[in-house]
Amino acid sequence: MNWRPFIDHADVLWAGLFLTLKLMVFGIIGSSIVGVTVGALGASSHYFLRQLCATYVEVMRNVPLVVKLFFLYFILGLDAFPAALLGLVIHQSAFIADVTSAGFRSIPHEQSEAAFATGLGGMQTFLYVLFPQLLRVTIPPFTNQAIELLKNSALVSLIGLQDLTFVAQNIQIETYRYKESFIVVTTLYVALAFAIVGVMSALQRRLRAR
Amino acid sequence: MLSYRTGVGQESTRERTVWYLCLAAAIAVPLYLAHDLEWHVLWRYRYFLLRGLLTTLVLTVISISFGMIVAIVLAAGRLYGPRWLRYLAAAIVEIIRAVPQLLILLWVFFVMPEITGRKFTPELSAIIALTVIAASYLAEVIRGGLMSVDRLQFESGYATGLSRVTIFMSIVLPQAIRNMLPALLATWIMLFKTTTLAYVIGIVELFHAATIVNSRELIPYTTYAMLAIVYFVCCYVIAVIVRRLDPKYVLRSA
Repeated sequence: MNWRPFIDHADVLWAGLFLTLKLMVFGIIGSSIVGVTVGALGASSHYFLRQLCATYVEVMRNVPLVVKLFFLYFILGLDAFPAALLGLVIHQSAFIADVTSAGFRSIPHEQSEAAFATGLGGMQTFLYVLFPQLLRVTIPPFTNQAIELLKNSALVSLIGLQDLTFVAQNIQIETYRYKESFIVVTTLYVALAFAIVGVMSALQRRLRAR
Repeated sequence: MLSYRTGVGQESTRERTVWYLCLAAAIAVPLYLAHDLEWHVLWRYRYFLLRGLLTTLVLTVISISFGMIVAIVLAAGRLYGPRWLRYLAAAIVEIIRAVPQLLILLWVFFVMPEITGRKFTPELSAIIALTVIAASYLAEVIRGGLMSVDRLQFESGYATGLSRVTIFMSIVLPQAIRNMLPALLATWIMLFKTTTLAYVIGIVELFHAATIVNSRELIPYTTYAMLAIVYFVCCYVIAVIVRRLDPKYVLRSA
């Protein structure tokens, strides 16, 4: 084991880590917004909306992410970063939508009926009655989806973005340090994933305390 | 407009008709616009592409079969094993699940030869990597299934004098598998899509075959439309089977 190359390549490694972090944060935010919206509409009793959302979910999650990324980057000709982010968001939002509408279905119908009886409108019922309960139910599966997004972000190296995986391969090509470069990068990914788990369980504890 | 009252499954025939007409239009219009996409060029490569699809399917089936065996061992170890085995199995599953699939593939292909001093073919590397991925995901699903089986089942088994292995293999596992079928098949779909990554180490599966055709003929829209359709249809067929195999139906027919 020789760790010298990593001290020399520290700046590249930092840049890769920063890009992966950026993709992860924006990806999680974007895909939660899209996913929760699609999931909420998909669980409503409006037939047309429900079918539309179900179709979105089925199509988006049954096509591999690599195909989407290549399509957005090579064929639609987007820049690498927007293509990567958009690909990650549409891929993961389908899974998040599924989790969200499953969460909605787990809330008893009496809840929304009671809200209607007290005179709340559709949007108010959603925001004040259903959403807080939904948040509590969906945090564990949502944590999984956030980790999946982090892991899927490794695929953006295939369209030339210099994220952690790309940097690992680059350092390995330059220095022939296979083991070391992969150990470093894998450790970083595992640390990021455990960080997500930590944040989410802290959030869950706070919600439960209320 | 947005309401969350009951009424799911009570939509009128007119609503259904309108929806299916819209869906048909949404499929037909792009197809009409795309009818000069030179599908016949793609047709010339049909055997090449079919062989790619076959490679994808073979990779999926092999990795899932081996993965299931390893996963059952890991899940049983994590639930019923002695303390050290429980921690070991948990650590293996959690760490592998936190590492990107692409990195696992690259680990097996680039780093394993350096550690073991033996060179693996790309095919063997892909199978090993996909098996590892499958095992770690399936282990969690199987653990969930095993946990859903009532504790009383074990005790009744002991009471009738069966050995631990017999109880596990012929009482607990079959019930667990029945409970977790939907999750299991969803994971299989995920693994089917994960085989796309094998193209990185040079295996000519469906995705790689399509990119080869594309770089020769330069018909990107056609190739990618074909890819999307084939992957969608394959996954959707499995998803429909998932719904058919929902435990409540299985229990009713059993």
